Amino acid sequence: MKNGFTTSFNQVSTSYKTRVQGIGKYGLLAAFLLICIALSVLTPRFLTVQNLMIIVTQVSINALLAFGVTFVIITGGIDLSIGSMVAVTGVVAASFAHPDTFPVAVPLLMGLLAGVAFGAFNGFVVTRSNVPPFIVTLGTMTIGRGLALILSNGRPVSNLSDSFNFIGGGKVLGVPTLIILLIVAFISCTIVLRKTVLGRYMYAVGGNEQAARASGIRVGAVKMAVYTLCGGLAALAGILLTSRITTGQPNAGAGFELDAIAAAIIGGTSTSGGSGTMTGTLIGALLIGVISNGLDLLNVTSYYQQVVMGIIIIGAVVLDSLHNKTNA
Amino acid sequence: MTSDTILQVRGLTKTFSGVKALDDVQLTIRKGEVHALMGENGAGKSTLMKILIGLLTPDSGEILFEGNDLTTGNVGDVLKRGISMIHQEMLMIPELTVAQNIFLGRERSGGLLRWLDDRRLTEKAGALLEQMGVAIRPDMPVKYLSVAQMQMVEIARAISNNASVIIMDEPTSALADAEVATLFRIIGELTRQGVAIIYISHKMDEIFTIADTVTVLRDGKYIATRPAAELDIDTLIALMVGRKLDSLFPVPDGVPAGEVMLSVDGLGRRGVFADISFEVRAGEVLGIAGLMGAGRTEIARAIFGLDRISQGEIRIRGKRVVIHSPQDAIGHGIGYVSEDRKGWGFIPGMSVRENLTLASLRKWSSGPFIRDKQERDVATAMMGELNVKATGPDQLVTYLSGGNQQKVVIGNRLLAQPAILILDEPTRGIDIGAKAEIYRLIHQWQQRGVAIIMISSELPEILGMSDRIMVLAQGKQTTMLSRHEASQETIMRYAMHRDRDTGPTGE
Amino acid sequence: MKRIRIATLSHVLFAVLLLVGCNQSTSSEKGAGGGSKKLVVGVTMLSMQNEFIVNVHDEMAKKAEAEGVDLITVDAERSPLKQVEQVESFIAQKVDAIIMNPCEVEASSPAVTKALAAGIPIINVNSETSTKPSAFVGSDDVESARIAMKFIAEKLGGKGNVVMMHGYMGQAAQIKREQGAREILKQYPNLKLLAQQTGEWDRAKAMSLMENWIQSYGPQINAVFAHNDEMGLGAVKALEDAGLKSKVIVVSIDAIPDALQAVKKGTLDATVFQNAEQQGSKAIETALKAAKRQAFEKQTLIPFQLVTTANVATFLKP
Repeated sequence: MKNGFTTSFNQVSTSYKTRVQGIGKYGLLAAFLLICIALSVLTPRFLTVQNLMIIVTQVSINALLAFGVTFVIITGGIDLSIGSMVAVTGVVAASFAHPDTFPVAVPLLMGLLAGVAFGAFNGFVVTRSNVPPFIVTLGTMTIGRGLALILSNGRPVSNLSDSFNFIGGGKVLGVPTLIILLIVAFISCTIVLRKTVLGRYMYAVGGNEQAARASGIRVGAVKMAVYTLCGGLAALAGILLTSRITTGQPNAGAGFELDAIAAAIIGGTSTSGGSGTMTGTLIGALLIGVISNGLDLLNVTSYYQQVVMGIIIIGAVVLDSLHNKTNA
Repeated sequence: MTSDTILQVRGLTKTFSGVKALDDVQLTIRKGEVHALMGENGAGKSTLMKILIGLLTPDSGEILFEGNDLTTGNVGDVLKRGISMIHQEMLMIPELTVAQNIFLGRERSGGLLRWLDDRRLTEKAGALLEQMGVAIRPDMPVKYLSVAQMQMVEIARAISNNASVIIMDEPTSALADAEVATLFRIIGELTRQGVAIIYISHKMDEIFTIADTVTVLRDGKYIATRPAAELDIDTLIALMVGRKLDSLFPVPDGVPAGEVMLSVDGLGRRGVFADISFEVRAGEVLGIAGLMGAGRTEIARAIFGLDRISQGEIRIRGKRVVIHSPQDAIGHGIGYVSEDRKGWGFIPGMSVRENLTLASLRKWSSGPFIRDKQERDVATAMMGELNVKATGPDQLVTYLSGGNQQKVVIGNRLLAQPAILILDEPTRGIDIGAKAEIYRLIHQWQQRGVAIIMISSELPEILGMSDRIMVLAQGKQTTMLSRHEASQETIMRYAMHRDRDTGPTGE
Repeated sequence: MKRIRIATLSHVLFAVLLLVGCNQSTSSEKGAGGGSKKLVVGVTMLSMQNEFIVNVHDEMAKKAEAEGVDLITVDAERSPLKQVEQVESFIAQKVDAIIMNPCEVEASSPAVTKALAAGIPIINVNSETSTKPSAFVGSDDVESARIAMKFIAEKLGGKGNVVMMHGYMGQAAQIKREQGAREILKQYPNLKLLAQQTGEWDRAKAMSLMENWIQSYGPQINAVFAHNDEMGLGAVKALEDAGLKSKVIVVSIDAIPDALQAVKKGTLDATVFQNAEQQGSKAIETALKAAKRQAFEKQTLIPFQLVTTANVATFLKP
């Protein structure tokens, strides 16, 4: 709610704002490090190179999805269908990945194509109709799940070639391929967001769609690009998951969208659009992964894990809303 | 303290994180006067008002209300003692009725669980509104009211509160002329009953129409208090900005206008405007005047491709064009600065630099990648040219004053190098210093051969800047005046023109 | 990374769509069937995204076709609330019998009560509810876990450390499989339960869980008991990646094709075969008898079989 006071009250609000932004930006990193330190003290198993590598590996799939959904949320949208896209693209890729059928590039391309097409469909419906993205992607979430079941007859697609299984399950120079791909994706997404015209337009569209239009930005094209990009990243996640567990599961990725959105929001992406960073999202995803891994190491039951996770998400959104209030 | 002094403020100081928002400020309000509080944005008016109504506590100084100390009161105390504020942006509950809003928080039902006596409230509110001479149904939910009507309800709320001091912050910013007249009549009645009005406005003509006394603040300091009758505009501006502005408007230099950049022929949008024909030449300013709702903004929106037109044609450099979207318009070299700065102007979460370069970003990039250094250089140069007051190119636009935000929006359009620039209320809500700068900028770009269309409700601005003036009434063009033909009176006459034979739709 | 469900809206939408779809399909078939009145059986399954359940259902469909019965199948998507609603709509449609593959012991019970109150026989397949249905067809889950854990105990010579991966906590299969495992653990005091955690029946989650356990306990782990094959295969993958598979025994339940392949390859040490075909066909048989008011078995238990490298060939379909 705006009122006449905040607008004309620059001095106070500025100092208050910088303070809150400070919490949002560095508070997350601080919280992350604090949790890491706490876990290191609680269990000697936590702070080992091998365990850290495992955390990053486990986080990578969610992080890829979170990167995609960060793009979408920055433009003021949302994509709930990413979990289903993981299943569809995984099943599609697996169908082409049986040994001695196609070269490994084929399942990769087919999976990516499926994700890009799915994302583009989301973008098309969102831009061509007045239906809010929440509803559109809620619908395609269900459609996607159905497609995955249809394509696989409700059964996992297994017996995949070794070269395919290497993509998400192998190691290069002792480093799991998932970590390498995560780093590549992180850098690429950061560049898109920070250094390209498209990235700038994403912030503009999410920050003030009308003003973006008045500046000559093709808002529809930006949204289309964003949902397609999100679909591509979800496909990558789906292919990697399939490769990691060596089977295309039609029920894979259920609920992944919420973890991914949580990572983005914990990472400071504003649900009202216009702000967010890939670094924040990565830290958000790592935070979720570290907590999950740490509590497993401590043999804490998953019930408590859920409670902790919920508290962190709410905390992040409260920070976000504080931040927004001062922008009003 | 004389006997008719109702509110006295002395030595008031308030500091926010080291910055003095108010520094030893004084103010004396007498019963039954309209006391204008003047100053540029950031002069400390709002801080002072917030302290008066108890939203902020001063660091030092005293506030005497009818001789009692009010310095540490909270909002409730102040209200009870009779100081009310009419807010710039209405603070009402849209779903509740007029009567419920007027008596909100003071229903006096005798307990939370008792029935609210709605009928009694409605009767009381109805009587009050009638007494004020405004025709608003007290049982109407507030969401159906116009802005002007809501303002009347706010005033009714203040009166019902037995307010002896009413603060009005830019009360006419959203009112049409007839509504302003009603407001002034009510203010007159209130002052006759001894109510004092503290009146904040940027509009000089209003101040000289209704104010009895004027107090000027500048940079948080008290500057002067004078009877309005002893002031003229130049003196008042000099007090506010601390220097004498040579002239608010740049002197026309008589450079002949160039080729016709934009011409519009028989333009119409069903039910909104019709038969609009004009042309603008390179290096010319075409002013568009008219009352609120006359169709000025709608014409600009249609030319910029935000609304569809239903008849007529648009030519750019003599060639007929079809414009369906802002992208089309921008492609034809049209830039548009909306009257709604927050809605259509800038991206609040972005820096000054990012906002400036947004419309021209393709120019400062190679392929998909932005050339960071060039972008920064371009933005910094434009900030210099526009004299944008910011801590640097990376400061967020939200934190700038309205005038500087407006400069950024204009800079954004200018960097796209438009051949035709449409400015809709370019100085609305901007303080006088920034206004002068924006006029200077318009003049500069005019000299560089840009064709400029300027829509404005402020007649001095229209008269001071335009080479030609088109006047609209009820969606139709009533005249086209040259600079030397035009005067406030002629413009108003044409703006009030009522054509009884054909309706405003003009199919 | 546990799931959080916000899918109430989608569930409602989905249920409506399903019901609309079902109504149409049955009415059209009835029309086509002409004069002879076909029996109609409503089937609600725990989740059609679970391979074993799909197998049970496929067998039911086959059997129903052979017997000339109409099946209306709906997917409860693991939601007991939805399942109860589905049964309510079966009752409203006046089906002749209901087969329910319950989502939960307690939460799916109202469905049984309601069906019985409406005089429609209800048969639970595969897992149980706390309220007794007209008949139960399935296998005693407790027994499957006993078989699996016993295999581990014998392999380890009654001594060693075991970790256990649970299914969704609170589901009948999880509760019973845990119960069976604990019975055996009690008989072998030197067999220690090192850690336990839910893998939510999911391969990817189980893989992450196993990775974390390897970090925690490393070579201390001698055996893994997973409540289903999906999780067992996830554990196998994590152990293989860590180079520990040769040192750790992994046993799970269900004998899905993937698991049989793994047993054949020797990566999964054993699985327990639960006979989906028999559960499916017996469920239909019982439902038909009940619908025709003939005598029927109150409880049909299909025996489990342990699958190891020695006998895996007989379970592999060509």
